Amino acid sequence: MRLSIFRFDPDRDERPYMQDFEIALAPTDRMLLDAILRIRTLDDSLAVRKSCREGVCGSDAMNINGRNGLACVTPVAGLAEPVVLRPLPGFPVIRDLVVDMTRFFAQYDSIKPYLQNDEPPTGKERLQSPRDRARLDGLYECILCACCTSQCPSYWWNPEKFVGPAGLLQACRFIVDSRDRATAQRLDDLDDAYRLFRCRTIMNCTEVCPKGLAPSRAIEAIRSAMTRRPR
Amino acid sequence: MVKRGPSGWLAWIVQRASALYMLAFLVAGLLWFLVDPPGSHPAWRARMAGAGTGIATAAFFAALLAHAWVGLRDVVLDYVRPRSLCGPVLAGLGLGLVAVAAWVLRILVMVRA
Repeated sequence: MRLSIFRFDPDRDERPYMQDFEIALAPTDRMLLDAILRIRTLDDSLAVRKSCREGVCGSDAMNINGRNGLACVTPVAGLAEPVVLRPLPGFPVIRDLVVDMTRFFAQYDSIKPYLQNDEPPTGKERLQSPRDRARLDGLYECILCACCTSQCPSYWWNPEKFVGPAGLLQACRFIVDSRDRATAQRLDDLDDAYRLFRCRTIMNCTEVCPKGLAPSRAIEAIRSAMTRRPR
Repeated sequence: MVKRGPSGWLAWIVQRASALYMLAFLVAGLLWFLVDPPGSHPAWRARMAGAGTGIATAAFFAALLAHAWVGLRDVVLDYVRPRSLCGPVLAGLGLGLVAVAAWVLRILVMVRA
């Protein structure tokens, strides 16, 4: 299998470059992460994040042949060769395929991703009907891999002001949560020219989400909630 | 990473409402001209000089200019760098649209004269 991988070590390299590898895959090497780890047995200077190897942690998000995805759940069969691996686009590169996620997590933090409810709970829990719980489906499953946000052109142009698809999906998760009491404040917080309304419905986010989520639909739901709220 | 500046929702609503009105106006206008075409320039002028037609046409151009303003503003906010240029560029575009609005108004008044 032939791969061409983005390499950049700021301590040694003046500029990034693409390094070609040709490896023989074992029969058990089914996923792209397996191929990357096999390359690391040849060249252990290749920096890559990985953890769960089953598509739930989001660590190994990268750009695979021009499209963001998780290496651990991307089958090697069917990948056009040479497989071109780049770090997530638009994010500062720390080294090779490892990017700085600080701003991404700061945007996530800015939408206050926790339940806001000062009312004392009745009994042990804040109860929620099955119907209300179902409204969280398609929103809570986000693993914050940043595939969506780093494939969003609007985020590329305004990363410090536009919250991005992942952050907005999580904002929607709490806006529609029946147990949350800060809906009005959450909607107010997103209502300026940048935080939500840089979204142009390009829908790259929905296209590349490895968990099959639809951030663009969540963003539309937030816009609808803003339209419906009393003014 | 906190909210600042005017409402983004209002601009979004203006863009959609103006698009709907322009679509309705163009469809209605096209149907009207297909079903009952004015035979001559004086006939067309008489049709455009009507109060209802004049108001609807003025509203069409107001919607068009509002729609254009929101779209151009989005382009400037996305692409113009350094950011200090955004204000002057938006001011220039705004003046341009105001000039177009004045021109449209003049034409509509002249048609009625």
